Amino acid sequence: MASVTIQQVRKQYGAVPVIHGVSMDIEDGEFVTLVGPSGCGKSTLLRMLAGLEDISGGEIRIGGRVVNDVAPKERDIAMVFQSYALYPHMTVAENMGFALKLKGEGKAAIEKRVREAADILALGPLLDRLPKQLSGGQRQRVAMGRAIVRHPQVFLFDEPLSNLDAKLRVTMRAEIKDLHQRLKTTTVYVTHDQIEAMTMADRIVVMRGGNVEQIGKPLELYDRPANTFVATFIGSPAMNLFEGSPADEGFVTRDGVFLPMPGDYQGAAAAIYGIRPEHLVIAESGVPATVVVVEPTGSETHVLVKLGPSDANLVLRDRIDLEPGQPVRVAPDLAKLHLFSAQGTRVN
Amino acid sequence: MSDLVLSATQMEVKRERSAIGSLRLVQTACILVIALVIVSPLFMLLVASLKDDRFQILADMGSFRAFWVSNPTLSNFAEVGNLSGELAYGRYLLNSLFILACTVGFGLIVNSMAGFVLAWGSLRGRALILSVVIALYVIPQESIIMPLVIMVSRAGMTDTFAVQIVPWVASPLYIFLFYQFFAQLPKELFEAAEMDGASVFRIYRSIFLPLSLPALATVSILMGIEAWNQYLWPILVTQTDYARPIAVAIATFFGQDSIYWDRAMAASVLMMIPILALYLAFQRWFVSSFVGSAVKG
Repeated sequence: MASVTIQQVRKQYGAVPVIHGVSMDIEDGEFVTLVGPSGCGKSTLLRMLAGLEDISGGEIRIGGRVVNDVAPKERDIAMVFQSYALYPHMTVAENMGFALKLKGEGKAAIEKRVREAADILALGPLLDRLPKQLSGGQRQRVAMGRAIVRHPQVFLFDEPLSNLDAKLRVTMRAEIKDLHQRLKTTTVYVTHDQIEAMTMADRIVVMRGGNVEQIGKPLELYDRPANTFVATFIGSPAMNLFEGSPADEGFVTRDGVFLPMPGDYQGAAAAIYGIRPEHLVIAESGVPATVVVVEPTGSETHVLVKLGPSDANLVLRDRIDLEPGQPVRVAPDLAKLHLFSAQGTRVN
Repeated sequence: MSDLVLSATQMEVKRERSAIGSLRLVQTACILVIALVIVSPLFMLLVASLKDDRFQILADMGSFRAFWVSNPTLSNFAEVGNLSGELAYGRYLLNSLFILACTVGFGLIVNSMAGFVLAWGSLRGRALILSVVIALYVIPQESIIMPLVIMVSRAGMTDTFAVQIVPWVASPLYIFLFYQFFAQLPKELFEAAEMDGASVFRIYRSIFLPLSLPALATVSILMGIEAWNQYLWPILVTQTDYARPIAVAIATFFGQDSIYWDRAMAASVLMMIPILALYLAFQRWFVSSFVGSAVKG
């Protein structure tokens, strides 16, 4: 196990910069998730950490050692790929033991370590099978087995669950988290799925356009997003944002809709009013709105309403009979209000 | 009314079935004719090799008797199957087999390594080298053969096995074939092996080479046929029986005064057997390789 320090790391392809001086500290044994939309540079950053991409500038340290020019095999890290990258002609046991064989470990030692990893991942009965004889979830577990058998200092995961169906993804998510809790190995996990990031990570790094937007614990990011990008990226359905300006005892949107706002925020240079869908409730004292779409999910109901000409999402825990076109009144929970400047940075 | 409709439908189905039947008949006939054109010379060769009178063979050619033997004998094979002496065709056959095995063996190693490095190596000017390799493919063997003869004779290599193997081991066609095969394998396999601690050579040997069975089979067959049928080159670089291949040796039956059809036919049959065996052994991968490349473009 080891800590990882990334300091002012830059990456450019020719003249095109893709990572613009990213810095972060990952503690020993921590589970950190890099999350962001496609093209934000999260996979490139992970590949630089793995040594599969050169670093154009900055410094990466693993366990205190600068690894900028160290070959992947000498970094003492293991990576699980999105496509699993299992060797198709080798059995599960051979796949898992390949790295140890290259290290020159004895046959008995390899067998012991493979057996240990197989027990952790419940792969025992599959050791003699070829990858093509396994299901997606089993292949994923073999890929993880191949990583843990080496006892590396750091695990890297590059969107490992994206090829699995929704149900299996939930199961594997829990398995990976459980594995981390047992092994306590420093883990860097890349995903574009914010639910994965929220449920698994000790800390989340939100990236956009080659920059870090915010680093924090999952609920910190949820409760106090640093800007509108993080506010809308974390949480599903996304946070409702209304552009406008503070007015007497409230906030008037560009479309002229009046929204209540506590008096303490009147002085803040708020240009964007944000409220999460679950913090908008149906109440007699609320703002007039019209129901557009009702989506019951069982545990909760998602409702799209029109606030004047603007759309707003609500997530209702209580079962209320609503019909499209029905007039309602919606009220924000003022303690859960998010205010942002015109540039999108948090002001409250 | 419904009966009428039913019978009309039944008639239509019958008509369709008979049309399909006729089409199949025509298809089968066409296939038979094509098969006959391809197989008949081989069959004639086999039949002639079992006749012991060379004048009779000549007389039978041009008639259906060419496809029939009343008293089959293996005497021609016994005559030409010696390992020494005047008719040491067994020896020439072994020479050819040795040349074939070495050319294919070294060829698979050299061409697959070159293809792998071009596809995955961190070599500078990879694209340029690949363009040169492709450009070299269009140069016919015959156009470089004389300078090559001069080179090998100055190197003192004439009348050896090496001279018949070394110049044909590396081939732009097979390098390109391997390059294409390796290039389509997923990058993650290379990277996973790299993370596992494998060197580039180990990745080639332990991961990419075992996955390239279809390409290995295709190259083995194409290279094998090429090496087996070499005629012009061995004529130019061999003077004695020591390393002479069977393709060249068979030509000696066709003298100025007389042609030994019986022995020539038996030697030709002997010459065909190894290459047919090679094809049959690798046929499954050979076909799948071509199908694969067609589907994946």
